Amino acid sequence: MISLLLILISSLFFVGIIVKVKAKIAARKMPSILQPVYDVIRLFKKGAVYSQTTSVIFKIAPLAYFSSVALAVLFIPIGSNEGLLSFEGDFVFFAYLLGIGKFMTIISAMDTGSGFEGMGANREALYSMLIEPAFFILVGSLALFTNNVSFHDLFLHLKLDTNLYYIIGIASVYVLIYIAMVENSRMPIDDPKTHLELTMVHEVMILDNSGFDLGLIHIASWLKFSIYGALISNFIISNSWAFYWQILAFGGTQLVFSAIVGILEAFRARNKMGKNPQWIIMLSAISIVVFLTALIITKKIILN
Amino acid sequence: MMIFIFIIFSILLSTSIILSKNSLVNYLALGLFSIALISLTTYSYIHINQFDSIYYKFDALGVLLTTVLSLLSIMSFYHSYLYLKRKANNPKQKAQYYAALILFISAMISAYFAENLALLWVSIEATSLFVSLLIFHSRTKDAMEATWKYLFISSVGLAIAFIGILFLSIVANENGLSNLSFTNLLNAAPFMNVLWVKVAFVLIFTGLSVKISIFPLYAVAIDAKTIAATPVNALMSTALVNVGFIGLYRIYLIIARTSTLLWAQHILMLVGVLSIFIATIQLTRVRRLKRLLAFSSMEHMGLAIIGLSLGRIGIYAAILHLILHSLAKAGLFFQLGAIRNYFTTIWIKNTGSYFKINPLGAMAFLLGIITILAIPPSGLFVSEFLIFKALFINHNYIIAILILILLSVIIYIIIKRATHLLYADVSEELLSKEVKQNPYESISQFILFVLVIYLGINPPVFFTDLINAASSILN
Amino acid sequence: MTYLFILLYAITLIYFALSERVKKFVWLLSIQGFMLFGIVFFSLNKIDLFDFIFILTETILIKSIIVPWFLNKVRKHNKLKRIQETSVPVFFSIIVVVISLIFSFLLSNSLNSDNIHTKYFNVAFASILFGIYFIIIHKNIFSHLVGYLIIENGIFLFSLAVGSVMPMMVNLAILLDVLMGVLVLGVFINRIGDAFESTKIDKLSKLKD
Repeated sequence: MISLLLILISSLFFVGIIVKVKAKIAARKMPSILQPVYDVIRLFKKGAVYSQTTSVIFKIAPLAYFSSVALAVLFIPIGSNEGLLSFEGDFVFFAYLLGIGKFMTIISAMDTGSGFEGMGANREALYSMLIEPAFFILVGSLALFTNNVSFHDLFLHLKLDTNLYYIIGIASVYVLIYIAMVENSRMPIDDPKTHLELTMVHEVMILDNSGFDLGLIHIASWLKFSIYGALISNFIISNSWAFYWQILAFGGTQLVFSAIVGILEAFRARNKMGKNPQWIIMLSAISIVVFLTALIITKKIILN
Repeated sequence: MMIFIFIIFSILLSTSIILSKNSLVNYLALGLFSIALISLTTYSYIHINQFDSIYYKFDALGVLLTTVLSLLSIMSFYHSYLYLKRKANNPKQKAQYYAALILFISAMISAYFAENLALLWVSIEATSLFVSLLIFHSRTKDAMEATWKYLFISSVGLAIAFIGILFLSIVANENGLSNLSFTNLLNAAPFMNVLWVKVAFVLIFTGLSVKISIFPLYAVAIDAKTIAATPVNALMSTALVNVGFIGLYRIYLIIARTSTLLWAQHILMLVGVLSIFIATIQLTRVRRLKRLLAFSSMEHMGLAIIGLSLGRIGIYAAILHLILHSLAKAGLFFQLGAIRNYFTTIWIKNTGSYFKINPLGAMAFLLGIITILAIPPSGLFVSEFLIFKALFINHNYIIAILILILLSVIIYIIIKRATHLLYADVSEELLSKEVKQNPYESISQFILFVLVIYLGINPPVFFTDLINAASSILN
Repeated sequence: MTYLFILLYAITLIYFALSERVKKFVWLLSIQGFMLFGIVFFSLNKIDLFDFIFILTETILIKSIIVPWFLNKVRKHNKLKRIQETSVPVFFSIIVVVISLIFSFLLSNSLNSDNIHTKYFNVAFASILFGIYFIIIHKNIFSHLVGYLIIENGIFLFSLAVGSVMPMMVNLAILLDVLMGVLVLGVFINRIGDAFESTKIDKLSKLKD
């Protein structure tokens, strides 16, 4: 319960901090931190407009997407507080929940019959496919050396105290940050500042959504960010700390994570569109190195 | 100590050549170097099978190949003088040429007598470097291309051979050896782990295939020989190839004492047959004389490798073939230098009627072609006959018949091109004007070809004793 | 701690497959030199002091500073384009490098010899394989030189794996190889760049029949 509340609260501020950091670096006037919340509240007050060419899928897809992400939030533990739901192998279920959400978004984008949205759906499908091995191999190697297969037990038994574990920790955090960026279609996959139709990935899929649906989609993307932030904070929080220190560390990690995302967005240029697949597969390659490290630590590969 | 003194002496000579750039100093240095070469050869023959400081040993094969090298280098000096005079190079280029030549020859001698595997590798690396300087001498675009390819692939190949040497040092370490001296390795050979020995053999063989110009890394050596000046080419196609062969021979001796001998012989046989096959196919497309001779080298080395894999008779035949091939090929290249002088292009189709232009040289060339194609009374006929005899004794009938067919194709192609050069009509504008005939130029080739015939038919006793000693180390 | 640097070295191999810019190649070679130093430094208890100073010079001074500086000079002299295309898409190269890493890890797992320190052997083998692959896919002679240096790094690790059979002489031989290779080949690339106005290898194919 605690973890659910913490994730929900941090998600409200996440995108606001990113925008504030970007604005500060660019020496612009900063909007308020809760500006995205105000935007969503404004959207909730509006009615939705549905195009004539769409079918029932377009109407139910945002709801399906939001509910899948909301269900996925229930699995994430924070430190020693487990999520609301937890069972063996739940990280696979988690990944495929997010997959169902993505699938509904993709088919609703194709449902509109617009060429642009189809293009975005195309790219979204490809990048999700390429990032999937990275996530699975990463969490799989963590499961391998803690010998547990649920999110809660995994992070409970994760001891990062010797040198070799550091490379697992650092590489996992690095890969998770970039997975978060790919899932939400931020830099360097796609630049949210410049909504050029030819290079958008996620933004173009939701061009035709409006009102309540658009609000739901925005909330879902905040939740996805803070899910990954919570996963990253698990690497840092150690279970032996007191409860309040854990909450503080969680808050601090989310803050630093959103600041890093903001800095990345401000300073890094977008990849050339054709180079995106090879960049994403590089993340899978790094996660394979993490996997090999796990094999070395658990002595499945004997090296003298 | 003698070889160290020799190497230091040659370094001194080449530095003095580079610093002074005076042609008198050049010739003086060359003369001194020739005397040093002859004295080293006789010294090594007298002190055969003795150690010369812990890193060198005067064994039988080294003495044989050094004798061949000395003879060929003295002739090559004379032909280099003629070549540089015709090219009218400035003194600085001449100095660079001669200095590189001296260092190249001494690096090869170091490789012939090297007793330590690491020293052998370093010597081969040094020969690679100096021969690149010599290939690059004419500074044309083609020369740059050939030199780059040769240098790069040679470095990569030697790096691969170095990995093989590291594998050998694993097995040496297992058996308690602390350095890679050949005598120690030979003694420890029966106890070595078979897997490492196999891997080491394959890697070293691949690395040395650049030098021996056989499959798989033959292409860069062929390109280099298409471009290099003919006196350098005479040494490259013969002595440098022998350096590669002696490296292979030493590793093969170590292999012969382990249980992987049969497997290594299969590999050598396979590589030899493949080399001859590829040489035959490539020869159908060759249109330049030097390239023709380069592929002919590849084919002869393929035969030598097949001979190496066939046991006692085969090794005797391989070493004899190697020596006779060196003499014959060098003679052909020297004559090619004279031929090149008379025509304006390098393409065979633009040459012809050489008999009318230079009868003496054409006689030498014809004699050389007969010698290199192993037509009796050439000595190469004897060695090839022995190789085929060994093939038939080992019941390798199909391989023998295949090679006979391929050799017939090669004989046809080479004779076709050679007769075009010698007898075909050529138009006047393709001939170089105002070329003086130099009758002394052809003397060296006649000496070499007569030597080949003599050594084949009626070899002197010390010669056969040396080859027997070289081939009998294998039991 | 050695493992940390070994795995970082493996990650630099992946970055080699990913990157297409020539400056980044040189930069990655420099980082590989530092990784090699880290690997050697943390196996210190097996090497004595004088060898250690020598290896320090060899890795940091030569591989990380002198060779990249020289390569940058060659790059500027030839005015190489920023991006060098490969004949195989980068996507496929990354897959190849990962497969070669996994293969070499599995191979070193199945070798159980006392004389090979397999923890160095696997990245050495992967590095040599990847260096050869790198030379094959690139069509520019500068990239070929970079591939040659990757192979040399692999050989250096391999000599560490083989143990202490005359480490001094082996390191000296490798050092000589690297120096001579880079200097001579680099000077040569300059000359070829001047003569041919480009460094692509399809300009260097006139000698074929």
